[in-house]
Amino acid sequence: MIDLFAITDDPAPPLPTVAPLSAVASHGLALVCAPAAHVEVSPEVLWRHEEVVEALMEDRDLLPVRFGTRLDDETAAARALGERHEELATALDRVRGAVELSVRVFGERSGEADADPPDPVTGAEYLRAKAAAAAGERSVLRSVHEPLASRARESRRLAARDRHELLTAAYLVDRSAVEPFVEQVSRLQSANPRLRLLCTGPWPPYSFTGE
Amino acid sequence: MSDKFLHTPPDLDLFAGEPPRLDDALSRRVNADPEKLERGLAQLVLTVVELLRQLMERQALRRIDGGTLSEDEEERLGRTFMELDKRMEELRTEFGLDAEDLNLNLGPLGNLL
Amino acid sequence: MSNAIVEREVALIDLLDRLLGGGVVIAGDITLAAADVDLVYVSLRALIASVATAEEKGMLPRMGSAL
Repeated sequence: MIDLFAITDDPAPPLPTVAPLSAVASHGLALVCAPAAHVEVSPEVLWRHEEVVEALMEDRDLLPVRFGTRLDDETAAARALGERHEELATALDRVRGAVELSVRVFGERSGEADADPPDPVTGAEYLRAKAAAAAGERSVLRSVHEPLASRARESRRLAARDRHELLTAAYLVDRSAVEPFVEQVSRLQSANPRLRLLCTGPWPPYSFTGE
Repeated sequence: MSDKFLHTPPDLDLFAGEPPRLDDALSRRVNADPEKLERGLAQLVLTVVELLRQLMERQALRRIDGGTLSEDEEERLGRTFMELDKRMEELRTEFGLDAEDLNLNLGPLGNLL
Repeated sequence: MSNAIVEREVALIDLLDRLLGGGVVIAGDITLAAADVDLVYVSLRALIASVATAEEKGMLPRMGSAL
């Protein structure tokens, strides 16, 4: 069995030695894989997988494959590539020369330790609370998401993990535009002292593979 | 790991929330194992219900903004949505689903909700 | 919480969202083993196929009274 990491062009630079990688080529694309590691999933295992994908990303464009994808062997890998090579080639072109940046936004911490407003009791209170939340969200979209999206090739709002999160988004940013993007995040933070902005990356373009 | 931080705010712990439980994160899948088929189908059905609920709420808020509802109508609508919200939570719990489970990935169109 | 722990958790959240929620899905079937639980991810196409099967077998949950 083999674990899959990413899809790249073929030919491509030599594979990094950070793991026992091989590249299965078909139709001008390559699927980078390694012998299946039968280990229990843990944060360390996830970070090691990510290290491999990022090592590849250093000197080539790629489409990251979802973690945990396992195939029987390289024949199966070649078949998978062959079956979808046109679609995958288009997807790879879409992310060429770009990386993913993540931005999450919270409101500032309130006075008491994260006190939630009391649960609404009347129908009118419920609707008022919903309207306020919607307005808050629209405001953050205008003040943070739109300016950042205009500096990215593409952007995508993602489902928030935490119900207090005002914005969770991914941005596909040209490699050369990462620094100005981060500077913009910093400026937006200064301009919005009642918000808390977090920006992480660069990540492989997980959110822009068209899945 | 920490070198992935490009911009951090004060109160970074706001963003940590509850430490993500790995088995929770990994279990966020539509399950079509025959024994768990019912759960996977419930997930699909509840996602559609959730979509409708959100659309209806948004419509109601627009009507309120537009001032086309009486106070009485507002109150009754609000109560209905409040109860629907509660009922959805109960149904989710019944099927062991989180709010995040009620979603569909529409490929290039992004997520449904 | 110590800063290092917070940093690790925050970064892990962003990582999890990507590794498990994004990326190309190959061949439609992914098996992940975590602790003792085998989890199966099935593409929507396969799920719709199983809905058709479930209907035939009368396996659909009764939602009428619940809603």
